[in-house]
Amino acid sequence: MAVQGDVMEAAGPYDRAKALSAFKLGDLTFYWITRISAISVLLILGGIILSLIVGAWPAMKEYGFAFLWTQRWAPSADPPVLGALGPIYGTLITSIIAMLIAIPVGIGIAVFLTELCPQMLRRPIGIAIELLAGIPSIIYGMWGFFVLGPFLANTFQPFMIRIFEGVPVLGAIFAGPPSYLSLFNAALILAIMVLPFITAISVDVFKTVPPVLKEAAYGMGCTTWEVVRSVVIPYTRVGVIGGIMLALGRALGETMAVTFIIGNSFRISSSIFAPGTTISAAIASEFAESDGLHQSGLILLGLLLFVLTFFVLAGARLMLMRLEKKAGK
Amino acid sequence: MTELSVSTTAAGHIPQVPLPEAPPKVTVRNLNFYYGEHHALKNINLTLGTNRVTAFIGPSGCGKSTLLRIFNRMYDLYPGQRAVGQLMLDQTNILDPKLDLNLLRARVGMVFQKPTPFPMTIYENIAFGIRLYEKISKSEMDDRVEKALRGGALWNEVKDKLNASGLSLSGGQQQRLCIARTVAVRPEVILFDEPCSALDPISTAKVEELIQELSEDYTIAIVTHNMQQAARVSDKTAFMYLGELIEFDDTNKIFTSPSDRRTQDYITGRFG
Repeated sequence: MAVQGDVMEAAGPYDRAKALSAFKLGDLTFYWITRISAISVLLILGGIILSLIVGAWPAMKEYGFAFLWTQRWAPSADPPVLGALGPIYGTLITSIIAMLIAIPVGIGIAVFLTELCPQMLRRPIGIAIELLAGIPSIIYGMWGFFVLGPFLANTFQPFMIRIFEGVPVLGAIFAGPPSYLSLFNAALILAIMVLPFITAISVDVFKTVPPVLKEAAYGMGCTTWEVVRSVVIPYTRVGVIGGIMLALGRALGETMAVTFIIGNSFRISSSIFAPGTTISAAIASEFAESDGLHQSGLILLGLLLFVLTFFVLAGARLMLMRLEKKAGK
Repeated sequence: MTELSVSTTAAGHIPQVPLPEAPPKVTVRNLNFYYGEHHALKNINLTLGTNRVTAFIGPSGCGKSTLLRIFNRMYDLYPGQRAVGQLMLDQTNILDPKLDLNLLRARVGMVFQKPTPFPMTIYENIAFGIRLYEKISKSEMDDRVEKALRGGALWNEVKDKLNASGLSLSGGQQQRLCIARTVAVRPEVILFDEPCSALDPISTAKVEELIQELSEDYTIAIVTHNMQQAARVSDKTAFMYLGELIEFDDTNKIFTSPSDRRTQDYITGRFG
């Protein structure tokens, strides 16, 4: 017994030191693994930007800033004339229209699901929205091409064109002729695609509103609309705007579905029922058979999309900060 | 029965002469309440006197908060909860399914256990409620906000930072902001659901003082776990236990010579 006790006493401190140093090693490894992971993000990001700039350099040298406001896109001319105005315009317009549709509808669905929906409908609708997010974009593209495009061209577009004919400004926006392939159709598909993002994130953040805060608002005699507008949305605005930004990021960069139904026309038309193109659609449809300056121009388009997305996100942050200031933080 | 230890804790604050009987503001008759199948309130009968403070005491889960949440139909927000019986606010049947709930809640305000400032500025927290019911000019609104904040005993502390967020205030200030917000709508009845349980003693004293002042103009019901508080602020006290109203009488009487054994046991701390 006594001997055993001695052994244990001798072994005790020794073991502890060993265990501690093993922990230390583990901790150090863990620290470096996480740090390297974090740094690798920066490296990858920097690498992408660098390779985009290198790839785009010939086009940048050739066209300079005029690339931004030249509308003509004639890669087979001699020498090739390349201008990004058409794709930039198309990207912005389709995304704006898509967000104009998707934000109110998406937040509306979220409000319905969290505040108004009977319990038995909640799960089916929630699952349907998750499924919507899971549909591959090529399916949306095909559906837009074969179903939505013809439907819009035969019903909605002629209707709008007839209503606004002769009205200044609006008449130009909703001008004919109807087309299967148009900016508007692409925007509508984009709206459907980004809807689940806005809804899912809004539902999640709406659920974080403390019930007692809502009760307090109801307790003052607020209607559901007033509670949502004055308490739920202000309380969750950071999360909701985050969801909207995620959706906008997807809308700006979405390629496959848009390429299917936008018509790939570099001409800018005032009408949203006319064909157009977006940056990503232009790259996707032309990259395979491009070379030389043409290819470099497409890479430059890609770089522009990158910059555009950056500015949109920066703008969103700025908006958020101003909102917080207004709310008195 | 001889050792009425409560007299040492609260007797000093109890008004020795009970106030005269007040005309009823809220009348409860044979009220039963169900959470789904669970029978949470059993045959409650009582009245809240006009401009009186009525305290509800009892162990957790006895149904006092549940009762309070019937007075403004807050339970309506949740499916599966229902009340049966008669509950009158003056001549209005509160349980009428066709009743305009927004209007009812304008007449019956509520202050919660935790402070619940809305995510907006201090000024807007008050103006928001007023705007729900009245269209008034900016200068009138300024007056109303100031009056409400004075009513909530908060004006002197916040008058220089009305545009700061309501969330930037301390817990006690937030609670007084919530009281000011409730008062701003000019209700007839104010319900307090454990209003001081998240506050420190100094804030508690301020809120209690405020409740006393408010009782000059409003009918008040307060749920509390703090028996000294019930003794200090209320005119009448209701003791509830397991969903039943055990005893309802002048606060003075409840805390000095309760007629029911269970009330006696509870206020002397023998169970709870």
